[in-house]
This record gives sequence, C-alpha cells and structure tokens, in this order.
Amino acid sequence: MEFIYYFGDVFAPMSFMLLLIGTVGGLILGATPGLSPTMAVALLIPFTFQLEAAQGLILLGAAYTSTVAGGAVSAILLKIPGAPANIATTLDGHEMARRGKGARALQLSFLASAVGGVIGVLLLIFLTPVLSQWALAFGPSHLFWLAILGVTIIGSLESRSVVKGLLSGCIGMWLATIGFDDIMGAQRFIFHPALGGGVNIIAALIGIFAIPQVLNMFAKGRNDPNVEVIHVQKSPLREAVVELFSKSRALVIGTVTGSFIGLIPGVGGQIAGLVAYDQSRKMSSTPEKFGTGHSEGVIAAEAANNAMVGPSLVPLLTLSIPGSPTAAVLLGGLLIHGIFPGSDLFDNYPDVAWTFINSMLVGQILMCIFGLYVAGLAARVAQVPQSVMAAIVLGLAVYGSYSVQSSMGDVYVMASLGIMMFFLEKFGYSAAPLVLGLILGPIAEANFIQGTMIADAGDGRMGYFFTGTLNIVLIAIVVLSVAYSAFMELRARRQMQQTEALA
Amino acid sequence: MKKLLAALALTTATLAGGAAQAEGYPDRPIMMMVSYGAGGATDFQARIVTMTAGNDDALGVPIAIINKPGAGGRVGWNWLATQAEADGYTLGAYNVPHFIAQSIQGGVQYDADSFEPIANWGADPAVFVVKADSEFNSMQDVIDFAKENPGKFTYSGAGLFVGHHIAALQIEKAADVKMAYIPNNAGGAGAMKAVIGGDVMGGVNNLSDAFRAAEAGNIKILGVADLERSEFLPDVPTMKEQGLDVDDASVNFRGVMVPKGTPQEAIDKLAALVPEMFKNDRIAKKMKDGGSPMKVMNREEVQAMWAKRQETLKELLAGL
Amino acid sequence: MSRIQHILPSGLILAVGIWVAWISFTREPAGAFLFPRLISAAFVALAAWTFGKAVLGKSRVGTGLSAELVRNLLPGLIVAGIYIFWAAQALGFYTATTITFFVLLSLYDPAPHGQPSTWVKRAIITAGYMAVMYGLFALLLKAYTPREILF
Repeated sequence: MEFIYYFGDVFAPMSFMLLLIGTVGGLILGATPGLSPTMAVALLIPFTFQLEAAQGLILLGAAYTSTVAGGAVSAILLKIPGAPANIATTLDGHEMARRGKGARALQLSFLASAVGGVIGVLLLIFLTPVLSQWALAFGPSHLFWLAILGVTIIGSLESRSVVKGLLSGCIGMWLATIGFDDIMGAQRFIFHPALGGGVNIIAALIGIFAIPQVLNMFAKGRNDPNVEVIHVQKSPLREAVVELFSKSRALVIGTVTGSFIGLIPGVGGQIAGLVAYDQSRKMSSTPEKFGTGHSEGVIAAEAANNAMVGPSLVPLLTLSIPGSPTAAVLLGGLLIHGIFPGSDLFDNYPDVAWTFINSMLVGQILMCIFGLYVAGLAARVAQVPQSVMAAIVLGLAVYGSYSVQSSMGDVYVMASLGIMMFFLEKFGYSAAPLVLGLILGPIAEANFIQGTMIADAGDGRMGYFFTGTLNIVLIAIVVLSVAYSAFMELRARRQMQQTEALA
Repeated sequence: MKKLLAALALTTATLAGGAAQAEGYPDRPIMMMVSYGAGGATDFQARIVTMTAGNDDALGVPIAIINKPGAGGRVGWNWLATQAEADGYTLGAYNVPHFIAQSIQGGVQYDADSFEPIANWGADPAVFVVKADSEFNSMQDVIDFAKENPGKFTYSGAGLFVGHHIAALQIEKAADVKMAYIPNNAGGAGAMKAVIGGDVMGGVNNLSDAFRAAEAGNIKILGVADLERSEFLPDVPTMKEQGLDVDDASVNFRGVMVPKGTPQEAIDKLAALVPEMFKNDRIAKKMKDGGSPMKVMNREEVQAMWAKRQETLKELLAGL
Repeated sequence: MSRIQHILPSGLILAVGIWVAWISFTREPAGAFLFPRLISAAFVALAAWTFGKAVLGKSRVGTGLSAELVRNLLPGLIVAGIYIFWAAQALGFYTATTITFFVLLSLYDPAPHGQPSTWVKRAIITAGYMAVMYGLFALLLKAYTPREILF
C-alpha cells in the first residue's frame, strides 16, 4: 500500500502538468501513423534532461501509456497500426469505422484500454515479485513454442483462404530472415543494399498497411460517381459504456491474456493483442462476426495491449532487463538520472519508482477521459476527402519509415512492400498474417537455434524441447488451437454445402 | 507551376549544398551515428559524452545522435564506411573489438582502414558471471567442471565476433577446455536474462551491466577479463590472477571516429577538442552515476590500440 | 475474372519461393540457413498448391484488377513512386512532400479544374498540412528528415 503514500507527488502542480502534457502529447504522437511508442518515448527523452528524475519519468510513463492507446486511433480510422500491438485493432476497428461507427469504436477502444491498463498497472504494483519469476521462467524452448502458438493464430486471422493465409505467413517469415543473421552474422538474401539492415518491422508495418490504403484511394479515381460518403454516427458515451460491459467476456479475456503475455521479455508486447483477439474469437458465441466490424474484437485487442504496459515493465524494474524496445529506451531514461533499476529500486528510490508507477495509473485515466472527449471529433477523419487523405497518409508514411532509424533504405523497403501488398490483396492474400510472420520469424528462429545449442550441450533436443511442465502446457495449447481451427473450418464448410444444396 | 516549384527547389538545394564547405569548421550541428539501438549502453554513453559539445570551450555546436542499429553494429558501420558524407559533420561511434573482429570475419564493407579515429571515451571490460545461487564460486570451479564435462558448460554472450565472444575464446584457449558458448540475439541484456533465468550455466557480459545486476543480488561476478582490477569491482580478481592467460583484447573500447576521406583540418580540430570535451567534470559524474567506466584516450593512443587489436584478433580468430 | 490474372501472381510467388529455397539449400554456413530451409520448404509447398489451384481455375478469393482500376491508379502510383524513390532525397523531404501533395490533390480532387477558387483551396490545404508537419516534426520534436535541404 506504499504507493498510495506517493500519490500526492503526482498531483503536485508541476508533475501534474507534465502528466497532462505527456498524456495528450502521447495520444497525438501515438495516433500519428508511423510513430511507434518506442519512437515517441525516445523523442521525449531529451526533454527529461532538464527535469528532476521523478518528473522526467512522469513524462515518460504518461507518454508510454498513452502512445499505446493512441495507436488505436490510426488503426481504427486509417487501418494503419502505429505499432505491432495495434494490428489486431485494425481487423474489426477499421470495419466499424467504414460503417460510420468510428466514434463508437474509438470510445470502446479507449474504455477497454483504460480498464486493461489500470489492471495491468495494479498487477505491477501488487504482484511484482511473483511476476518477475514468471517472466524469467520462459527460456528458449518455451519462447519457441510461444512463437509457434502465434503462427497458429493465422488460421483465425485469415478466414477466406487458410492456404493463402499460411503462404502470406511464410512470406513474412522469409522477409524477416533478410539481412545479417543475428547470431552467426552471415548475410542472407541481401539482394539490394537497402536490405543490409534487414526489414525493419515498423517500416514494414507502415508499408504493408498504409500504402495499400493510399493506392486503394487512388484506384477509386477522380470522378468516381459513387464517392463513398461515410455518415459518421453519433455515439452517446452511456451506450458505449453499456456495450463495453455487455461484452465483458472479451474484456476479461483481453485483460488476462495481455497481462500475462505482456510479461514475457522480447515476445509479449508484440503479440499480446493478436493472441487476445484470437482467444476471444475462439471463446465467443458468435465467432463468425469477427472481422466484420464486431466490437468484441476491438475490446479484446485494446484491453490486451494496454494491460501489457504495466507487466512489461516488471523485468525492467526488478531485474534491470528491458523486456521490450520501449522498456530499453525507458532504461536509458532511468540510467541518465543515475537510477539503477533492480530489486532494491523500491528501497533506494521509492519516491521515483512509485511516482513513476502512479503516473502511469493516473495517466491511464486521463488518457481515457481525453480520448473519449476527442473520439467523436476524431471519427470525422473518415469524412476527409479521399484525395487529401491519400496525400496526407503518403507523406506520413515516408516520414515515419525514415525516422525509425534515419535511413532512406527503410523508406524504399516500406514502399516496395506496400506496393507488393496492394497487388497481393487483390488476389486474396492478406496483410495481417504476413506481418505476424515477420514478427514471429525472428523469435522462433533465435530461440530455436539457442535452444538447440543448449540442448546439444546438455540433455539432447528431444528432452530440451518436449519435457518440462511449461513446454508441455504450451504444446498442448498449440495442438488445441490447431484442432479447434480445423474443427471450425470443417463446420463452416459443411454449413456452406448445406446452404448450397438448399439453394 | 510544378516545373517552377521544382526548379526553385533545385536551385536552393544546390546553394545549400555548396555552402557546406565554408570556413570556420564546425559552423553547423554535427551528427554522430551510433550503430546500436536507442537505450543501449553505447547509445546511452554516447549521449552523455556529447552533451556538452555545444559549449564554447568544446566544439561550439551540438552533436545529434542518430541510431542505425542492426546485425551487431554491421549496418551502422557499413553505412559510415560507404554512404556517409566525409565532410567532418558526420561522426560515428566505434566499438572495439567488435568492428575489427567483424572485418576479419568478412562479409562487411569496412575494416580498420576505412575510418579515422578521433578519441576514446570508455572502456568496458568483459566479466564472467554466474547466477547468484550457482555452485561455482571462482573461475577455477568453472574450469574444473569443464575439464570433467567437455562441452557441457553452457554460457551466454551478446553474439559472435563481439567482445564477449573474444573473451570466451581467450578463456577456453587459456584453460585448454571446451565449453558451449551460446550467442544471444538480444545483445548483452538478453545474454544477462539467460543467466539470471537459469537458461545457461554462466555468461560473459559487460562490466557495467554485470555490476548493476550483482548489486541487485541476481548474479555473482567471478572474474574480469582485463589487465587490472576495476575500480567498480575492487574485490573481483582478474583472469590472470586466477591463472588464466587472458589479456585486455576483449575490453569494449568506445569512442568517436570519422569516415576516411574527411578533410584533415576537420580531423585535427576534432582530435584536439574532443578528448578535452570528454574530460569535463559533469560528464565524468554522469558516467560514474550510470556505472560506466571512462577511459579518455587521444587520437595517437587510439591508433596504436586499433593496430594492436588488429594483430591479436587476427591470430585469435584464425582458427575459426 | 480471368484465370490468367490468378496464375500470374501465384506463379511469381512460386518463382520467388523456389529462388529462396535454392539459396537456402546451397549457401554456407549451413547453421545460418537452417531456419530459412525450414521456411522455404513450407513456402514452396504452399505456393505450388496455390499455383496449381490457379491453373485449374479454382481460385475463388480476391477481386483481381480491372482496366478501370489500373487507369485510375497509374497516375497516383507514378507520382508516389517518383516522390519516394527520387524526390524525397534529391529535393529534401519538405520540398518534395509539398510538391507531391499538391500534385496528388490536383490529380484526384474531383473539384473542377477551371475555377481559380479550386486552385486556391488546394494551395491552402497543402500549406496547412506542411505547416503542421513542419511544426510538429522539425520544430517541436527536432527529428531528422531525409536531407534537411530547404528546411
């Protein structure tokens, strides 16, 4: 209960002002296509040099929480996820926006984010010692199985053609192997100098999602007689709250999955949203509605990716191991003020540590209030003329992919992938499985190779990958997940045949 | 209209480009490339040591850090060697032995002759670590185990052809044992996680990161791969003291360099000013607070150090 | 939609898959290509399956391309290509973006080209967008852009 004692510090005038700036600024940066939370936090670090340690961290903590939620804005309105965490949000969120329910989608996403986020931070406050053990429990073999579990999700992301979905996943995994291999340093598939550093995930994300959007707007032409005029429906806040709690199953699944997967260093943050989306679809009473603008999809994905924020800091704060790229940037922000995270952080610098955590808690709520306030306004983005929108998104895509690591090569990669994706989409391949492959490929590969090296030195590969409770549990989930997808596919096919027979 | 705008833009562009070679170097902000990600040890230290660049007694212009991470630093150094403009306004941070070892391994577009050193700011020795509750208490325990179980002792490090890998090779060679070095894909932090999480039996890691982890009670430090003990760890013996013939070839030296072809006046000016800038008290305090050992060396000293590394590494890596 | 339209992309993908597999299985060091071998095997198998289905005319998913779509798309695609692959670096980010923005707006904005007010409106929108971009990225965040010429 020590954290309550430090709540006063958050509400000191200077701190609260920074908190507000961090939250509002974070939302805007997060909503800008191409600026990932990692980038946003890194851009803010220089501003903290002039501040005291606690104040600097308030700014960073607030920005971290709100950029993750802000990413949902561009995911829903433009179908451009700001970070891997928001991919799942595009699936149903953008469909809702296309039907004029953008305001509702945004409200739900902010509300779900706040619920998930607050619970995540509370877990961080109360269960840190337990959670840090859980984070450490995942060795190479477990992370490998976790990546495989991620691959099985492809079945539910791509309902139109499972084979093409899996093929897209393979293409993604291959793209991820381009560049110098992380472990041996060997060159793989570098057929153009721009690929020397490999395919950067943020640049790829921008290209694969944003460029097809731009090209689709072009393809509608100048004098399209049936220009899509989206009627943006108003959405009273009360109804959104009622809807959120009537879909409490998705909310719970999202929060729980996000909190626990978010903990796992190196993997969690990127796939929490997708795993939660997949789980809530499998446990839903109406799985066929997912992907067609179903609010449960938005709720599960957004609850998960904000629930992950708190727990993802556990390895950083207790073991000084950054579990995600954003956490690594935050570590830099801590060290520059002479603060070493570690199990004694809360004894040595209780004021800094607790103020930081409290600021994330208050930040979640401020983020929600501010987000709800602008949701109706933001949804009007759907009414911006296509020509203007296409030009805006194109400019942001170039800026965003360049700024990831100040490299023109990334811009070329972004554009090439984007143009390729536009044509592939016309032939039934889809973006989400491809990106999933791109994310999971390196995780699966690195852990497979490290695992085999450790296994060869010890008790053999079979023993290393297939024994131990955690391995067996993960394998069981993988098998169940595949079996369930196959069962659903068969049932859907039988139903289709029946309808065809009747007709 | 279009043409007019384009022509206008082109003219202005040429003008701006031509003005770059003006006298009174440096007269505009300088950019420094760091070949590791934001928040990592090299990035973090680079930001601290360059923070006073804008002062009048230093360069008088600020230095902005640009990260070009990837493939253990190869992406950034390839860029610096082949694509960066050698105009004196583009600097790069170096990590020795990393980039020298990589150029010996091959497959990259640079070697020690592609760059001109300016000054060195830090030296981070590799240390040998085990989990806090490990049965191993000295290097001798580790060697004894490895002698009885050849190839069974697993230990992590930040990758192949980096300081950690060099230290691992030297230790195995000095003790004449075979152990299983597991390169990690997530750098020093990932390698440390593997040790604390018990995925491997031990590891080689950076002194600065190991010092923090040991303070937090997560690991034990068994030995330092350097010529003398570290001021941060006065109680930890060096490898030599424990009977292993390991020198300072694996120490991670960090400093500033420029691509070959940079005007000599610019090199001279930087070589004179930058080491003095590193000696600033504020920088020393920040670095000490951050647990980062400093070692300021001037251009001649760095040139000698590079040449020496080049030789030792060639010999050590010849057998691979 | 014609069968050819499906055969073409799936054939291309199959070709890429075979190329990837060929490299994976022939290049050294084998350790670094272990994982690519695994992926490329699956890649080729799935691509062959899709290609086979396309040849048999059983590909159902996807709308394909129509002549009208290509006609509408091409001008924008060309302008965007010039912008990304040449202008952004050659002219500097902000200059190139301003020009591209204005050109794209002129190409795709349905308002009549004959009236001066249309052009004024387009110029104002371009200026407003650039002001926001420049203010946020260059002034506030001090982020780097491709060759900061002109700005």
